[in-house]
Amino acid sequence: MKKMVYLAGVVLMGSLAGTASAQLVAHKDLSVTTALTIATTAVQTCKAQGYNVSAHVLGRSGEVLVAMRGDDTGPQTYENSMKKAWTARAQRAPSVNFAKAVQANPTVGAIHLSNMVPAQGGLPIMVGEDAIGAVGISGAPGGDKDEACAKAGIDKVAADLK
Amino acid sequence: MSKFYRIAGISLASAVVGVFAANAQQLLTHKDLSVAVATTIAQTAIDTCKAQGYNVSAHVLGREGQVVVAVRNPAAGFATFENSMKKAYTARATRAPSGKFAETVKGNPNAAQFFLSNYVAAQGALPIMVGNDVIGAIGISGAPGGDKDEVCAKAGIDKVATALR
Repeated sequence: MKKMVYLAGVVLMGSLAGTASAQLVAHKDLSVTTALTIATTAVQTCKAQGYNVSAHVLGRSGEVLVAMRGDDTGPQTYENSMKKAWTARAQRAPSVNFAKAVQANPTVGAIHLSNMVPAQGGLPIMVGEDAIGAVGISGAPGGDKDEACAKAGIDKVAADLK
Repeated sequence: MSKFYRIAGISLASAVVGVFAANAQQLLTHKDLSVAVATTIAQTAIDTCKAQGYNVSAHVLGREGQVVVAVRNPAAGFATFENSMKKAYTARATRAPSGKFAETVKGNPNAAQFFLSNYVAAQGALPIMVGNDVIGAIGISGAPGGDKDEVCAKAGIDKVATALR
């Protein structure tokens, strides 16, 4: 039995190596236009509701595509919007999911990474099952309100996310 | 004559103290960029360059060099994001087009500021002025030539000219 598992492992490794060397990875990624539209729409949506917010749109590798510092916001909103987006990108899920995970288990491993924040307001930007980036918003009185603006940004470009 | 200078110096010192005293009684009043104005500047600059066939990244920095809007253009060169920030920082710090600093360094490669972290001797950034007050700067990078970057930066500022007062 042990030998069989070992053999299966060797076969699996062989097939993985074969696949990896045979072809490159094909990606869709955010354009500057799409990223700007997401951020601008989110900031304006919150502004229309009376909230000044900062926004970050991150790409596939967590790189900053668009960063916006909101009017009259504290410096923490700029950082926090980045971290919320980072959290959403890293987990391929709304950052509120991580907030709930930390509430359930305050020592969950990922909380010790630099850019993870257990706070609502970040959403992944998906193309099908693929997280190509994330948007994070901070500044509204409540993460749910931040998230609503983030969603407005993504909804605005929904037709392009394919 | 030397006494005259000394007296003049003392008067000046008193006057300066007086100014500080006045300042102690009131706060500074500043105009600063809004995110809306900053976004319009950045977006207009990027669109202007795009219309000319150039993909560029942009930074709009505020009064203290803080990022107000940063835009990475994945279609532009990898280094353009950093470079647009540094050009803007240079323009803000020197209160002049970054191309001017490039000329300074050409004339004197040991210019002291050249060794600070965020200075870059490259054209493509302009200070954003309200009268004589520098409230920020825009930096562009990605066009084939700093002069072309600067044209797009200028288009961004021109777009919001009426708001800059």
